[in-house]
Amino acid sequence: MDRLRYILQDALVNIRRGGWGGLASIGTIAVSFVIVGIFLVITRNLGAMVAEWKEQFQVTVFLEDRISAEQLALVKKRIESERAVRHMTYTSKEEALKNFKRELRGKESLLDGLGENPIPASLQLSIHDAHQTPEALRQLASFLSRLEGVEDVLYGQEWVDRLTAAVRMLRLLGLTVGLALGMASLLIVSNTIRLAVYARAEEIEIMRLVGATKMHIRAPFLLEGMIQGGAGAGLAILLLFGAYRATLYQLQLTPGQIFGMGVGSFLDPRGAAAMLLAGAAVGAFGSLVSVGRFLRT
Amino acid sequence: MIQFFHVYKTYARDLEALVDINLHIQKGEFVFIAGPSGAGKTTLLRLIFRDERPTSGQILVNGRNVGKLPDRAIPQLRRGIGVIFQDFKLLRDRSIADNLALVYRVLGMPAAIGKRKVANLLKVVGLTHKAQMTPYKLSGGEQQRVAIARALMNDPLLLLADEPTGDLDTDLAADVMRLLSDIHARGTTVVVATHDMNMVRDMGRRTIILKAGRIVEEHP
Repeated sequence: MDRLRYILQDALVNIRRGGWGGLASIGTIAVSFVIVGIFLVITRNLGAMVAEWKEQFQVTVFLEDRISAEQLALVKKRIESERAVRHMTYTSKEEALKNFKRELRGKESLLDGLGENPIPASLQLSIHDAHQTPEALRQLASFLSRLEGVEDVLYGQEWVDRLTAAVRMLRLLGLTVGLALGMASLLIVSNTIRLAVYARAEEIEIMRLVGATKMHIRAPFLLEGMIQGGAGAGLAILLLFGAYRATLYQLQLTPGQIFGMGVGSFLDPRGAAAMLLAGAAVGAFGSLVSVGRFLRT
Repeated sequence: MIQFFHVYKTYARDLEALVDINLHIQKGEFVFIAGPSGAGKTTLLRLIFRDERPTSGQILVNGRNVGKLPDRAIPQLRRGIGVIFQDFKLLRDRSIADNLALVYRVLGMPAAIGKRKVANLLKVVGLTHKAQMTPYKLSGGEQQRVAIARALMNDPLLLLADEPTGDLDTDLAADVMRLLSDIHARGTTVVVATHDMNMVRDMGRRTIILKAGRIVEEHP
């Protein structure tokens, strides 16, 4: 118990003596983590958005107005027999118009001038994941568009795929940048700790000679690194959160409503905790690197 | 308590600090290691608390083979030994009391007990009134007494003193020797390295004389 208190006291003394050097460490870690965090938040939101779009953007088959009941039955049967199709919903002209009106909300009068219902009936298909490749979808679409009574076939898959690829690229970029910045913070923390070790070289020597264990000598520096790393990451989370809220405000959105979809979110508590831990780990590792070389028995 | 068997210590090439040292120091003895500077006195002491390893030969301290001690066992060895360094090794930016506190912190002693110990030892060496001063405000003799107090913080069975009267005038040196004799009287084994042959003669204790790394004389 006392031992623990001594170690904590020593770490705090180190931090106090470290002064600007310590602040520089915390600042560097904070900057690195803010940049990594920006990537995290963006990819997280984009990823969620793409996932949602994948659900929504299925294949839509628009039907001709003059399609007969037999033709419709036949089209449905052909579609159902396709292995790629998981599920099919039929929307009649009337339902489609009702949906459209609902989306117009209060501006229904716009439609008053229309005599006949201009919206076609359609079939919405959801596609099995295994068949969601651009090639398979193109084939399916061209097959469907040749069916009797089909006006047009729409699918947004290609677009979604491109976005998925973009998100993947972004994530990779984030990871690379994060790794590079992580290394840089590691060096800076280890340098700060090394200065702290040099400043205490005499004390370490005496501690060694009166029978301190390596762990006892190392622990305060380890703790110092962890506190610096954790503080840097914590600062980064605060900065990120501020920036996130400011962005939402600028875009006039409420949380959970980014891009008009139910996916907008900041880091979840687990992500934030992971960032704090990563910060502490960077700090601890930085300090181990610099103290390790210094110790002899 | 301490046994050396054919101990050699060679630094770099051909720099022989100690040559074929054989000695036994019994528990409770008071022994001088005397000789001119560069004779190997400091090296001999450092071998005992394993700040150096012998090049060859065996050293037993309290039955432990010090030269072969694994790294993790070294702290335990040092905790049983008090060392008074030639250069004192006091921290200049800290009060005398804090310099002593360093030891109980390293040992993980509860603070209350540690503080009482610091107060007691400062009384023993007569520096209670200077507990909050930093070392550079103290005279050489006072710093020497702080170093002695610190060496006693861990209640050592064995006290090693490297030139404890080095820079002191005769009166102060006599004070320090009296202090060491008191400590010895309480049952601690004391080994003192010194170049001051007059003092050694006056004290009339067992003396081992080193010259150029070899034991050249031993009496009584």
